[in-house]
This record gives sequence, structure tokens and C-alpha cells, in this order.
Amino acid sequence: MKEEKYIVFDKYLTNELTQEALTSFEDKLQSDAVFKQEFEIYKALNSSLSSKFENEEEEKKLRDTLSNLGSKYLTKEKVNKKKGKVISLVNYKQLMVAASIALLIGFFIFKDGNPVYNDFSNHTPLELVVRGENNTTTIKAEEAFNSKNYKEAFKQLSILANKNPNDTEIQLYKGISLLELNQYAKAEVIFNKISSGDSSFSNTAKWYTALSFLKQGKLKECKKTLKTIPESAEEYKQAKKLLRKL
Amino acid sequence: MNKKPHADNIYIEALLKNDSRVLSKIYENFSHKIVAYVKKNNGNADDAQDIIQETLVTIFHQAKEKNFILTCPFDAYFYLLCKRRWLNELKKRGNKRVTIIEDNTSITVEQEQQVEETELFEEQHQLFELKFKELGKKCQELLKTSFKIKSMEKVAEILGVTYGYARKKKSQCLGKLTQLVKSSNKFHQLKEY
Repeated sequence: MKEEKYIVFDKYLTNELTQEALTSFEDKLQSDAVFKQEFEIYKALNSSLSSKFENEEEEKKLRDTLSNLGSKYLTKEKVNKKKGKVISLVNYKQLMVAASIALLIGFFIFKDGNPVYNDFSNHTPLELVVRGENNTTTIKAEEAFNSKNYKEAFKQLSILANKNPNDTEIQLYKGISLLELNQYAKAEVIFNKISSGDSSFSNTAKWYTALSFLKQGKLKECKKTLKTIPESAEEYKQAKKLLRKL
Repeated sequence: MNKKPHADNIYIEALLKNDSRVLSKIYENFSHKIVAYVKKNNGNADDAQDIIQETLVTIFHQAKEKNFILTCPFDAYFYLLCKRRWLNELKKRGNKRVTIIEDNTSITVEQEQQVEETELFEEQHQLFELKFKELGKKCQELLKTSFKIKSMEKVAEILGVTYGYARKKKSQCLGKLTQLVKSSNKFHQLKEY
């Protein structure tokens, strides 16, 4: 009896019931709630399994694509960040040595021992080429920025920014280039916009806002901005050190 | 309800077509804040990559089976799905001491609905898969073959049985599975779907 029920389910789904059997089946669906529930499950299973097995190959191919993109965009970034951290740590040690020497000299010769922008302006190298397109603008922007040719970098980054208006990283580096060119107001507009957004660069942008103030000698504002960088941010340690020196 | 696709439905289409150019935009534009969220909450970039991939594969299946159409912006929909998936993952790992850092993502009723639709789809999908594995090996094989090869005549040929027997067995096995699903606790929570 039970077995037959499922055969009828199957035939209904493949439109193979005779008119008479169909009418009686539909009547039963209306009147028998348990019967109806079982049929609903049977139908859902049929659709789910059918779709699953049919698309097995496609799913595999999609997974391959996604794995590639994932490591290209997410894991690669992780490597970058690690690299960035190592660089800044090494630089940081050198910087500490330099700073303490400067401080000592300052004690003896100068009265002013305030930290300066150049001590903290170690930018993580720009690496955009990974983003696929073999774009000469991208390459030019990278080369210019990483060789500290900020005027050219700004030019190329502006072209890129027009093409990718939503790319926060490009905006950030455009801001850094402006800061290097002493165009503080323009740079700060960019940093403020990124800081108030929810991208992963928002804390970096806060850090750069602080650096902009530092470079202009606005130490009070610099301090205030540094205090907005949360403990979870990568820039937190640097911010704390700079705060201590201010 | 009239389902008018949102412009961001291109991402759903890209999943169906395995269009890596458009899919790369998802990673470029929407993934960084998911990574940031996972990192803030006891995870690392690898965890985030898994969460993102599994969420996209689920949407792919939903689009294949249910013709899922996105009627709201992709960004918030995707972010919320990934976020909740990560919270579930943390629960599974038994990480009790985790303090979740909440963020103030505002979401519309419609987005919430689409997120729930996808989540329900996945829960059902997972339940079916779990129960499928409880079937005997023979039933599993037969169902797999029948669904992969649409023609039951061919299935019968491959398995070396008559057409009538293959048909009967298929509906029996699916019937068995129906019983397994019906008697599971989980099913009663999902009944609405």
C-alpha cells in the first residue's frame, strides 16, 4: 500500500497519471492532510536531489573559480598585510633607535624633541596589479607610488579612481599621494570619507588623518585623531607610540 | 509578489554562468568588510574566505533549484548572510567566550526577507543531505543515478534491471527518504518552507 503511494507520487510528478487516477489523487490531496504533507516532502526531495546531482559538475567548477578568486583577493591581501607588518616592525625598530638618538641630541642641542612626519610615513607599498586586468595605468601608478614619485602616482591614481569609483584602496593611496605633496585639505577630505565608511581601510584612513595633522604641526588635532583609532586596528600600536611622543 | 530583479542580480547570474570577471567584483567590492568582521570576531582571513565561498555556493544552488532572483542590493544581503554564517560557525566551534562585536548595519524588511529565504533554503538542503546519507547504500546509488541520468530506461540499463523495477525502486527509495525527513525534529522547524 505504502509502496504504491510513492509510485503514484512519482507518476504525478512526471505527468503519467490517467485522468481518473489524477482526479482521485487531487481529491486526496485536498482531503487528507497527512497525505498532502508526505507528498510535499516527496516533491521537495525530488526537486532538491535532482538539482543537486544535476549541477554537481557545475558546482565543482564554480568552487574552483571561487577558490582562485578567494586566494587572489583575500589571502594575497593577508600576505601583503603580513609583509607590511614586518616592514613596519623592522622600520619601527630602526625608527626607535633613530628616535632615541634624536631625543638624546634634542636634549643636548635642541629644545624641541617633537616627533616628525617623516619618522612615521612608511607607507605600505601599493600593489594593485593583482586585480587581474593587465592595465598599464595600474602598473604606472604602482611604480610611481612605490618609487615615491607622488605627483605621477596621483595622476595615475586619479585615472584609476575615475574608472573604479568604489575602490577604497585607490582612494586611500590617492590621499597619501596628496599628503606627500602637501595638499593637506584635499588629502583630508579623502581620508575623512574613508574613515567614516565601513571598509577595512577606515582605521588606516584615521591614521593618515593624524599623520596629516602631524605634518602640519597641528599636534592637538593629531592627538585627538589618534585617540579614535580602536585597539583592534593594525595601526593601534603605531598610534599609541606616536601619542606617547606627542 | 511581483519579483522585479534588482540591478545587482547580475551577481546571481554570474554564479550561474561561472563568470569569473563579474564574480571577481564580489571579492573586490563586498568581501573586505566581511573579512574585517570575521577578524574582529575570533577568525582569520582563511575563515572569511570559507564563509564567503560557502555562502556563494548556497546562493548558486538556490538560484539553480528555485530560480532565486535578487530584488534588493547585493551588498547588505550578502554581508548579513556571511555574518550569520560566521556566528553559526563560532557556535559550532563551541567558542563560548567570544564577545561579538555588533555593527550597526541597517537592513530593510525586504533584504531581511531575502536573507531568510536563502537561509531556509540552505537549512532544508542540509537536512535533506543528512537524511540522504542515512539511506542504505543501494538506495543512495539508485537515486544518484536516476537524478543524474534523466531517462529511467537508461538507468535500468546501467543497473541491469528492468525499467519497471527501476521505477518502483526509485519511488520506494525516495519514499523511504520522505519518511526519514518527516520524522526528524528539524523538519518541523522548517515546515513553513
